[in-house]
Amino acid sequence: MSFAERHILEWLIYLPMLTAVVLVALPAAWRLAARWVGVGSGALLMIGSAWVFIAFDYSAGADTFQMIKVYTWLESVGIDFRLGVDGIAAPMVLLTGIVALTGSVIAANVDRDAKNYYILLFVLIAGVYGTFVSIDLFFFFFFYELAIVPMFLLIAVWGSSSTFADFARTKEYGALKLVLMIVAASVLVWIGIIAIYVWVDIGTFDILRLRDAVQDGGLSSGAQKTLFPLVMVGFGLLAGLWPFHTWSPDGHVAAPTSVSMLHAGVLMKLGAFGIIRVGMTLLPEGMEAWALVLFILGTVNVVYGAVSAMAQTDLKYVVGYSSVSHMGYVIMGIATLNSIGLTGATLQMFSHGIMTALFFAVVGAIYERAHTRDTLILNGLASKMGWTTAFFVIAGLTSLGLPGLSGFIAEVLVFIGAFHEQPILGALGILGAALTAVYILRLVARVFFGQRDPQWDDLPDLTPREIAAAGALVVPLVLVGIWPAPFLDVIRHGVDALPGVDALVGGLL
Amino acid sequence: MEQAWLIPVFGFGAFAFLALFRKYLPGQGKHLSVLAIIAAFVAVWPVLFDMLDKGVGEHHFPRDWFSAGPLEVGWGIIVDPLTIVMLALITFVSVIVQVYSLGYMRHGNADDPRVGWYFAVHSLFSASMLMLVLADNLLLLYVAWELVGLCSYLLIGFWFERRSAAEAAKKAFVTTRIGDVGLLIGVVLLIVEFGTVDVIEIMNSLGDPGVNQAVVTASAFLVFFGAMGKSAQFPLHVWLPDAMEGPTPVSALIHAATMVTAGVFLVARLFPLFDAVESAQLAIAAIGIVTALMGAAMALVMTDLKRILAYSTMSHLGFMMLALGAGGYTAAIFHLLMHGVAKAMLFLSAGSIMHAAHDETDIRKMGGLRKRMPVTSAAFTVGALALAGIPPLNAFWSKDEILLAVAGGLNPVFVVLFLVAIVLSALYMGRAVLVVFFGKLKPENDGVHESPRIMAWPLALLAVLAVVTGFIALPIGYEGIGTFLVAPGDKPHAFEVVPVWLVASVVLALGGLALAYALYGDEDTSRVDALRERFARAHDVVANRFYMDHAYQWTIDRVVLRVSAFLALFDRKVVNDVGVNGPGLSAVEAGRRLRYHVTGLFADYGLGIVVGVAILGALLWIRSVTG
Repeated sequence: MSFAERHILEWLIYLPMLTAVVLVALPAAWRLAARWVGVGSGALLMIGSAWVFIAFDYSAGADTFQMIKVYTWLESVGIDFRLGVDGIAAPMVLLTGIVALTGSVIAANVDRDAKNYYILLFVLIAGVYGTFVSIDLFFFFFFYELAIVPMFLLIAVWGSSSTFADFARTKEYGALKLVLMIVAASVLVWIGIIAIYVWVDIGTFDILRLRDAVQDGGLSSGAQKTLFPLVMVGFGLLAGLWPFHTWSPDGHVAAPTSVSMLHAGVLMKLGAFGIIRVGMTLLPEGMEAWALVLFILGTVNVVYGAVSAMAQTDLKYVVGYSSVSHMGYVIMGIATLNSIGLTGATLQMFSHGIMTALFFAVVGAIYERAHTRDTLILNGLASKMGWTTAFFVIAGLTSLGLPGLSGFIAEVLVFIGAFHEQPILGALGILGAALTAVYILRLVARVFFGQRDPQWDDLPDLTPREIAAAGALVVPLVLVGIWPAPFLDVIRHGVDALPGVDALVGGLL
Repeated sequence: MEQAWLIPVFGFGAFAFLALFRKYLPGQGKHLSVLAIIAAFVAVWPVLFDMLDKGVGEHHFPRDWFSAGPLEVGWGIIVDPLTIVMLALITFVSVIVQVYSLGYMRHGNADDPRVGWYFAVHSLFSASMLMLVLADNLLLLYVAWELVGLCSYLLIGFWFERRSAAEAAKKAFVTTRIGDVGLLIGVVLLIVEFGTVDVIEIMNSLGDPGVNQAVVTASAFLVFFGAMGKSAQFPLHVWLPDAMEGPTPVSALIHAATMVTAGVFLVARLFPLFDAVESAQLAIAAIGIVTALMGAAMALVMTDLKRILAYSTMSHLGFMMLALGAGGYTAAIFHLLMHGVAKAMLFLSAGSIMHAAHDETDIRKMGGLRKRMPVTSAAFTVGALALAGIPPLNAFWSKDEILLAVAGGLNPVFVVLFLVAIVLSALYMGRAVLVVFFGKLKPENDGVHESPRIMAWPLALLAVLAVVTGFIALPIGYEGIGTFLVAPGDKPHAFEVVPVWLVASVVLALGGLALAYALYGDEDTSRVDALRERFARAHDVVANRFYMDHAYQWTIDRVVLRVSAFLALFDRKVVNDVGVNGPGLSAVEAGRRLRYHVTGLFADYGLGIVVGVAILGALLWIRSVTG
């Protein structure tokens, strides 16, 4: 391993933390400096993440985590600062890099107390990286919690409250609900983790050694089946699993733009990632026993989220519910437990992360200009806001599964995997994609097309900075849509090593 | 042949280039798009000659795209006669339409402000359609299929400031998307059942032992459902007439070469699948004839010129599906080609009229235009007569082939209904021609003049082709289209003439025209509503499009949106307010109550200790007793 390969992963965690520290030291009045530090750090993270993704060697023998780095921490308990990536974490690292960069560029729109905003944002980013690259259960959980806590302040201080015809949502309510629900769920995860540690009883939190011990019968089938629901609900909640999803639309509506981008784009993936990293890897028999339940809930997510999105009249609620719907595909893909479905699920995590970040960036830009997100009031924006419209439509087309964009490849793999196991649920998933087309196209027709109301005549289009950020998000969407092979090769390496996955070696038959 | 994959590349390249850089190009890069499609058109011919050289048949050139698990997906191509004729039709009509658009998208001396985008999407549209006909696997086919849908959405909604255009675009995309649910389910079922995406492989193993025939049957119906959406078959035809909200050349493209022909092509490409499932074939024939009759009936009562043409397309698509249902593969594709040439010309003629008459499409305000627009009138009349089935014009030959296929392969009921449809075809085409071009010139059309040359020349060229292309059916220089374009697993057959059917179809077509003359031939063209006066009630039903649009709108407003509003409310009130806030509020309330136990009095705590010790003691005692 080269020097860079040995140290890159830890620096993906140190760098955002260091950025936060530097920002703390900056005088609050140096707003411009805070922005530059934030964007510069985002750019470095992007480069580092891309490097990890590119340097990941998918032709190496399966079952090897790469770029492993271990610092002994608490030898007596068996906790080490242990980092490494596999083919599932590598695309997630890349995703985090892209969203961290574009998010910190969009965050430059924040006027009030930009310095503290960036500090919290980078703590959150550090937590996200830490979760994706930790292969020690203790640190995995530590970073998982670290990513969640800043959300409360980011939403409660910088968020926005909304009043609707028959109900109101304050930003404090959104922040509180989001954090309380996620923390409550992580209690379940923590119970599961401690129980795995104690019952496997080899005195380590090392995920790889625990996995091997479980493979050798270190954890009884009964124990696995008992623990799995804790992990499933605990992580599933962060992935928006029905019926524990309501924090997501409300939280996203209240959150400021760049926080929504990071949260829907990356944080929700931590939930699905956790199911794979802890649930599938350490509790394979539990996973198998509960797969059908997870499958059904995922399908409910898809259809329920899409139908709910159709009735929303607030742009952010539409996008929020669409996230609930799209994370359903990830959950379905995981629950197929076969190599095609899981590949689709992982690619969908990446694709949805980019797509939803793009959605929130555009919707945030509209809100900043029009001071409303009401789809019944906004109309005809296309003729004056060409870039805004183009980006929204691209995100919308990705979400409705248009070929040529990343969502299609991911979803069609999930469908093929799903049909192999549960054709009826798979068909419902496809129906969900059609429902997506209905709500997205209705929205586009209403908000962007048609005659423009005079009150919107003077809305300016995106600034060059916003165009650059949104454009940077479009590139991976198109790239994966047209040339998915590099991504699928990396993901295959990860999926093949997962315990309990049907590799479908005999073909699909 | 192996390089045939390059044919769509021109269009994709032009799209990408124009989408990014059109603002910096002279004329927004419109000429680049035209050049790209001309290049594609030119590139088709070496492919044809190469095939004639190497043997007519199915040539397969696989290429890798991506793989996941055991699934291998390629972007390879199939080159067979079906592909070749489709390539020729698509590129040719696209060239004509784009050249014509150079004139049409100019108003006065200035281009439409978004002309670059118009041509960019045109390029993408043709390229996607070319990719569709070349694709060698089900997923690539679906990719192209959806891109075609996207382009129709973008072009129908090209003038998106108009509410009606935005709505029409949405309607087209959503309606075809509903069909696509069926298609995608069918495709995925086939992929999972056969373990491959390769069309040829799947078609060859349909009858293998161990193949679940229930799956094959289900996928045949589901795939056809997708074809119904794109090819505007009843009951998914509702988007087609609204689609004319786009610029008229777009209608020509959609109706002649891209989009609606995709469904017919799909059924032809997967012909063995439908051949294997008899019930699906019958369903195709039934849907086809219903579509044909409904379309013809509606074409007869519309007063909007473009709508008449749109319903005529629907009717002819019905003919093609009917032919496919009857096993008449060659007849269906032959008619697709002939109809494509004629219908492109009709739409471009309509566009020429609109261009001259300030976007007027109401035929009641037209009349006697032949005196002002000779080229347009001649072209329109030739196209109309061709589609009415008058020999020796092109669609006469293909319609005759369909008649033979239907007579040979289906129940006589279908034959009778088809003959009725032939009369109706002649009748509505006769009506349109008589009302628009004959009779007295209306005062409001006084300023009308023939369109510029860049629009007139494509019309003239198409008119000539509409006269001569039908002869490819005949054994001139080779044995006729029936020997070139053969259904998989079928024997080549030369063009047949069965005098009874030939005479019957010509007599019926002429009868239809005569009837049209009797009803609408009067100098006073206000008689356009002749049928309304005579059959008021039936006329209303048809003119209201059988109330199907109303029924769909009602379903969307009253069922779909209400269900979704209910679900959203359920999510907020029940899942969130009860399920999430509930436990939260209970926790707060419990805390509030419990805090009264914290009294701060030593006596209370002492009592607690005593009670606790007593309970523990009791438990220990019980345990020691029970052992």
